[in-house]
Amino acid sequence: MNDGPLIVQSDKTLLLEVDHPAADACRKAIAPFAELERAPEHVHTYRVTPLALWNARAAGHDAEQVVDALIAHSRYPVPHALLVDVAETMARYGRLRLEKHPVHGLALSTSDRAVLEEVLRSKKIAPLLGPRIDGDSVAVHPSERGTLKQALLKLGWPAEDLAGYVDGEAHPIKLNEDGWQVRQYQREAADSFWHGGSGVVVLPCGAGKTIVGATAMAHAQATTLILVTNTVSAHQWKQELLRRTSLTESEIGEYTGTRKEIRPVTIATYQVMTTRRQGVYRHLELFDARDWGLVVYDEVHLLPAPIFRMTADLQARRRLGLTATLVREDGREGDVFSLIGPKRYDSPWKEMENQGWIAPADCVEVRVTLSDDERLAYAMAEADERYRFCASTPAKTRVAEALVRRHTDEQVLVIGQYIDQLDELGDHLGAPVIKGETRIRERERLFQAFRDKELRVLVVSKVANFSIDLPEASIAIQVSGTFGSRQEEAQRLGRVLRPKAGGGGARFYSVVSRDTVDQDFAAHRQRFLAEQGYAYQIVDADDVLREDRPSADS
Amino acid sequence: MSVEFADWLRGRDDEELRALVAARPELVTPVPAHVEGLAARAVTPSATGRALDRLDRFALAVLETLVLLPAPADLVELRDVLARGLRESAAGDLEAALSGTLRRLRGLALVYGPDDSPMPAPGVREALSPPAGLGPPAADVFRHHSPERLAEITHDIGAGHRDGEVPVLLGDPAVVERLVTEVSPQARAALDELAWGPAAGRLANARRAVRADTAQSPIEELLARGLLGATGDETVALPREVALYLRDGRLHRDLLTSPPPLRGPERDAALTDRTAAGQAFMFVRAVEELCERWSFDPPGVLRTGGLAVRDLKRAAQVLELPEWSTALVAEVAYAAGLIVASGGVDGEWLPSPAYDAWRVKPGEERWAAVAGNWLATDRAPGLAGERDDRDRLLNALTPELRRGAAREVRTATLAMLAAAGPGVAPDPASVRDRLAWEQPRRRGAYRDRLVDFTLREAEQIGVTGLGVLAGHGRALASGDTAQAAKLLGPLLPEPIDHVLLQADLTAVAPGPLTGDLRRRLTLAADVESTGGATVYRFSESSIRRALDAGQSGEELLAMLAHHSATPVPQPLNYLVTDVARRHGRIRVGTAGAYIRCDDPAVLDQVQADRRTVPLRLRRLAPTVIASRSARAALVDGLRAMGYAPVAESLDGDVIVSQLDARRAEGAPPARPVTLVGGLDRDVVAAAVRAIRAGDAAHRARRPPVESPGGQVPRSPATATISALQQAIRQGGRVWIGYLDNQGQATSRILEPARMEGGYLTAYDETRAAVHRFALHRITGVSEVSDGG
Repeated sequence: MNDGPLIVQSDKTLLLEVDHPAADACRKAIAPFAELERAPEHVHTYRVTPLALWNARAAGHDAEQVVDALIAHSRYPVPHALLVDVAETMARYGRLRLEKHPVHGLALSTSDRAVLEEVLRSKKIAPLLGPRIDGDSVAVHPSERGTLKQALLKLGWPAEDLAGYVDGEAHPIKLNEDGWQVRQYQREAADSFWHGGSGVVVLPCGAGKTIVGATAMAHAQATTLILVTNTVSAHQWKQELLRRTSLTESEIGEYTGTRKEIRPVTIATYQVMTTRRQGVYRHLELFDARDWGLVVYDEVHLLPAPIFRMTADLQARRRLGLTATLVREDGREGDVFSLIGPKRYDSPWKEMENQGWIAPADCVEVRVTLSDDERLAYAMAEADERYRFCASTPAKTRVAEALVRRHTDEQVLVIGQYIDQLDELGDHLGAPVIKGETRIRERERLFQAFRDKELRVLVVSKVANFSIDLPEASIAIQVSGTFGSRQEEAQRLGRVLRPKAGGGGARFYSVVSRDTVDQDFAAHRQRFLAEQGYAYQIVDADDVLREDRPSADS
Repeated sequence: MSVEFADWLRGRDDEELRALVAARPELVTPVPAHVEGLAARAVTPSATGRALDRLDRFALAVLETLVLLPAPADLVELRDVLARGLRESAAGDLEAALSGTLRRLRGLALVYGPDDSPMPAPGVREALSPPAGLGPPAADVFRHHSPERLAEITHDIGAGHRDGEVPVLLGDPAVVERLVTEVSPQARAALDELAWGPAAGRLANARRAVRADTAQSPIEELLARGLLGATGDETVALPREVALYLRDGRLHRDLLTSPPPLRGPERDAALTDRTAAGQAFMFVRAVEELCERWSFDPPGVLRTGGLAVRDLKRAAQVLELPEWSTALVAEVAYAAGLIVASGGVDGEWLPSPAYDAWRVKPGEERWAAVAGNWLATDRAPGLAGERDDRDRLLNALTPELRRGAAREVRTATLAMLAAAGPGVAPDPASVRDRLAWEQPRRRGAYRDRLVDFTLREAEQIGVTGLGVLAGHGRALASGDTAQAAKLLGPLLPEPIDHVLLQADLTAVAPGPLTGDLRRRLTLAADVESTGGATVYRFSESSIRRALDAGQSGEELLAMLAHHSATPVPQPLNYLVTDVARRHGRIRVGTAGAYIRCDDPAVLDQVQADRRTVPLRLRRLAPTVIASRSARAALVDGLRAMGYAPVAESLDGDVIVSQLDARRAEGAPPARPVTLVGGLDRDVVAAAVRAIRAGDAAHRARRPPVESPGGQVPRSPATATISALQQAIRQGGRVWIGYLDNQGQATSRILEPARMEGGYLTAYDETRAAVHRFALHRITGVSEVSDGG
């Protein structure tokens, strides 16, 4: 029997005992081909999925290495079937290659004719292909490059895209490392993206994904299209780029609901891109407006379906995806793989925290008990009203107030889902509320005031879920959320994870109504973070209030 | 039987005879009375066949060559013929191999006679027909041709010869050569096909008259020239002389004097042992999991005796194994007697008491038990899920999966793996080739499949690892299961008694758990993944399940704290306390009726009254008493005690009722089952008589009586029926005339029992059995005088 830190399960998960002396070596060995699924305190779970194996294959690892790593670190014998499966799955990647062809432009070629014959027989594949060139290759309509890759992935024969990229319109971009430096992991992430051609970089919120984007742009030295989630985030990208690179105001354009500027570096929102009028995407021409050398997708896990379709047509351009998590609530991880590209860089949250790149955070779940009247009303509420009812109980307002009072010296964000609840909170706390209807200018003013510590408490709706850079916020109080959305929870925690000037930690409170669907949803939401190693401590609302009262009285 | 053979046998010394019967044990069951008896038994087709089945490719080739050479065979010629058929690489060792093989064949009494001119033993020639895949000699092929046909062929191939001299002509290689060169290339290709393959084929209208110059097809060209002869209406054969010419004088090709080598990659023995042990562990666990699951949710036994496809699929899902592998798990558990079909019409597949004994043994012994039974079973689990030759689905666990050859092929295949040497993983093709060489008479696509099954299953069960026979597998293959268990033991993970509890509500058992802890954890948490370790996830429902099973929240937490290496994480603590807090807060029970009264004092009084004991009252609240009696009984009882209760409807309204109009509260009694129409008394009586008659006939085997002679009775149909009806009522005997199935008029003496649907059921004394007679075939009835 071996004494390794790894246990291989029959469902292709790998359990890594983190306290084992050889855990680090083992983590390094398996990271290329296994996706970290859960990272709680003692045993981390990795999963060997076909996508992960193909990611590894794309990064140049072969099956032999994978099998060796498994056997070398495994405590118990590795099931033979799993080894065979690993070898077979990995062998599937690269049997088909997309390559440039002097006559036909683009060709799908193979080293294994049987595989080509198999995919040619598929009804979904046939229309994407042109005439057969010879026994081992077939012409591909260049416009179907993305769709073909998607379809091949579905068939389990992912194609290796060796057809290269257009250089795009050259545009000088330099990093402006003045008083700051690109962190090592940011550089590694940008480099490994660049060598891979296209792909996704996974970094926790607060780890400076914008810098990774900027570094990638400095590599590309070409016009760049940046797609972000919303207008505020677009502004932030712009500010960040102005600060970190040689780009000037006149070189960066915003393509949002209000402004339609197309400049060498253009930042557009998903919302604008997916606006339709009379069934037509009106802003599609943006993709062709310039000869983009790089397309950056911020928050890839939120990429809406129409953008996927548009991206399918952009396969000749370099694509960089940035995200904190590849978990998609809609399960379209495969499309990210085939259309944006394989994962190029990944780093577990806790590790970043240990290195001081993100603030250490405590997560606390505060459980409030509904009053008897409320419980009765809850029991009688319609099923689709129940969550709203228990999530916006007045008891939560009291707890939020107590928590805000508890942290008098810190910047506090109160985050919620329901506007009336937020308005009420705003009234009680004497804090401004930022919600969907708040004007962009007003929002930015408030955010700036918050950054400058003129405002201590800010109540925000889900508009502030993403990409709002509020470095000094150290306390977040979540009173309600979008049902059981795991990534929302991660994003909200991300709001307080930026390293603090004082080096202090962050705290994330989630206020939950006991014995209701709120608690069920909360459990689901917390799963991602719990799996990332953030242990939720549970406290009773009564304890919070009791603690609060003496200080309030005094 | 030849006297010389018996004499030769008698001349063998005792040692040689002992070796003979040891190698051919079927010769002495039962022990023959004398050597003639032994010789007589040795030459029987079945005994010879079994001896031949054990021969390897080379020995068989020697024997075939001997059979085909003109007797007495000359050693030199024998060697020359064999040498022509050898594969080039094997040419060197012929001399030694031949003399060794001849000695072996003599030892088996398949060859006898003087050393320099060996003869095949009697019976061998017949048993080896057709030898070396050759067709019958031309003389046999053309024996049954009509003289006209022979004349035509002779005319076409050798004008000038006498009619019917086809065999003579074909005996001349020059003639055959001429004929073969003159046919079309397609016909030549067909000939080459037949030359080494089966020398016979099917052909519609094989005896057609064809002439060389009018032949329509390649086959007709051959038929016209006698290169192919009809051996039946729809069969043709290639005459032996033609085949020998086509084979260039060789009887065999690619012959090897020693077994072909087993090729394959070499692997590190420690690694393969570990891999096999890992698989062994998984397999034992799969067997256990299946049995556990079927303990609570057993699948039904199909009418054909197997396991339904749906149930197999479900089991596969639970075990997370492919279906073939699940079928193997079920089959092996069945072979080891761990699961059996419970009896009865609606039988179920259930674990047997043997399972309970097996379950508590150490892992290695459990494995040895299942693996040993896999090796010994005469079933072919690999066939489950396939279709038989009648295109019926073969279910797992059906009797249909029994295959006589399964066990033998399995043993032989494992022997091959053992022969491959340590660390070598022979590839399946070379195993099949080797087996084909060792048992050429038993080869075939079907056996090749059994070999493939064995290799696949051996890997699955953990007998082999990465294709290499593991140390414990080697012991198992040699029949030493105890040694196999001993070797496997140290390779299996040690059971542990602690788990790692984590804040994300999972528990990880980093190895197999001890039985008790495992049962407790399985109760309180859901298994999320299995393998070397087990991951459990706690959820509200799983905790509730543990509480339902009678544990309290504190007990559960104490158990977890005891078995956890680290403190119980807070979220888990909260989860357990939360569920425990709510568990059982609402109680549900059944009651027949209740007593409600706004004044608790009255209820106190009712409860204190000893006469209420039979009403089985239980105070639920100060103002409510529940009773297990029905409402009406409760009202009566209370009235008898002097109270004045009123009945209440479900909505709380008072039911106004008259004393004499009570109604039952319970469910209506089941209606008695009545048969529509009913049986009339005569039929009942007749049925009983028929049963008695049949029973008596069965016990006493009444001898059939002579059917009466004389004129078979004839009577009009209406008279016949009324006479029979009367006989049924009175229980008498009648003499009838009856046209049997062949239309023969027979006469019978009957005791009629019942008449319905145009048939008469009666005890037939002339046949001493109960039969049914078609009324329309009864030609007449007359009375029988008693004493017949």
